[in-house]
Amino acid sequence: MTIYTGTGDHGQTSLFSGERVPKNHRRIEACGEVDELNSILGLLVSRLGPEEEGWVRELRAVQARLFDLGAWLSTTGGSESARFLSKITPETSRALEERMDRMEETLPGLTSFILPGGHELAAWAHLARAVCRRVERRVVALASPREQASEVPSGVLVYLNRLSDYLFVLARSLNQRHGQEDVPWSGRGG
Amino acid sequence: MTRESDQKRFPGRVVARRFLSPALFELLVERPPGFGFLPGQRAGLSFQGLERDYTMITSPDQPELGFYVREVEGGGLSPLLARIEPGQELSLSGPRGYFVFRPSPRRTVFVATGTGLAPFISMARAGARGFILLHGVRDRGELHFQDLFRTAAGLYVPCLSRAGADEDLPPGTFPGRTTAYLQTRLEPGAYDFYLCGRREMIREVTLLIDERFPGSYVFFEIFS
Repeated sequence: MTIYTGTGDHGQTSLFSGERVPKNHRRIEACGEVDELNSILGLLVSRLGPEEEGWVRELRAVQARLFDLGAWLSTTGGSESARFLSKITPETSRALEERMDRMEETLPGLTSFILPGGHELAAWAHLARAVCRRVERRVVALASPREQASEVPSGVLVYLNRLSDYLFVLARSLNQRHGQEDVPWSGRGG
Repeated sequence: MTRESDQKRFPGRVVARRFLSPALFELLVERPPGFGFLPGQRAGLSFQGLERDYTMITSPDQPELGFYVREVEGGGLSPLLARIEPGQELSLSGPRGYFVFRPSPRRTVFVATGTGLAPFISMARAGARGFILLHGVRDRGELHFQDLFRTAAGLYVPCLSRAGADEDLPPGTFPGRTTAYLQTRLEPGAYDFYLCGRREMIREVTLLIDERFPGSYVFFEIFS
């Protein structure tokens, strides 16, 4: 498959729905944030061990959904092109909820805020969570009614909200698995 | 957007192979049960351990899958397909791709070079009408499926890049490349452009669209 086209050499690119837009268009910015999140997840997956195959499968499924999500962000609302996209409905988030419920069964209750960090794998999961929240903010901006013809399927925002929560719980689970305590926030510090 | 169907494999029996000019031929394969597609989509053709994507040129309601293939000298799969015999089996995967027609209030312009004509053949056979088609080839010996496009297109313009200045050309033929036609003949405006063919053509035409046809939509597929 050919990778380079040269069609963006002058700073324009095509949306999946066909419009030519500048590469700093809000939709392209949002797609770029999704790409960054996906890349961090790829890095996290690459660091997981052979006995963490369950998380590898889950995260690869998330990476595939993020591709679908990027395609939605690259498609203006009401476009004919939308019929080629995989549906992202609130049901898509159900698997994340079920997995979070299972992980939380073995985690100690939280009594304070925790600092992002602990084991390296947990730190990557926290970074992915923070980037996921940034993606969410970009998508909320796109979904604003003030944006013309820019509807974003409601399932996209639900999925991003749930994915951030999943990554938080995953970070705690990774700390637990690798024998690290979550790092509690100690108020005013010192 | 990868679907499970992208990976699914089907056996396919060759029905016919017909040369249209010395290096270009049409290959017809029996359509395997369950193999549906949209006009403009590709299938992976696999034969003797080699695989490559080719775009269907038949309509989805035809009993065969057709492919428009250039035999590339020194190439891998295409020389094998050029010699394949009716009755032989190959393997198919897919369908793949999103280079499919999207209805729109804007005028549609198809731009093809060489075998990049393939998706537009399928679209026309499936009922697309009224479009503008610019087909860029080196010489008129490579202009195939003209009857189909003279019927289906609102405007069909063969563009002969190697036409001599004093060459006697059939009416409606443009002596030059597709980009030259777009620069000099197509009225300014917003169109839906579908580009298929060589990378260089797609790059040049897309940059030209940005400059000369703002507000247009662009869909493309590169044939290497």
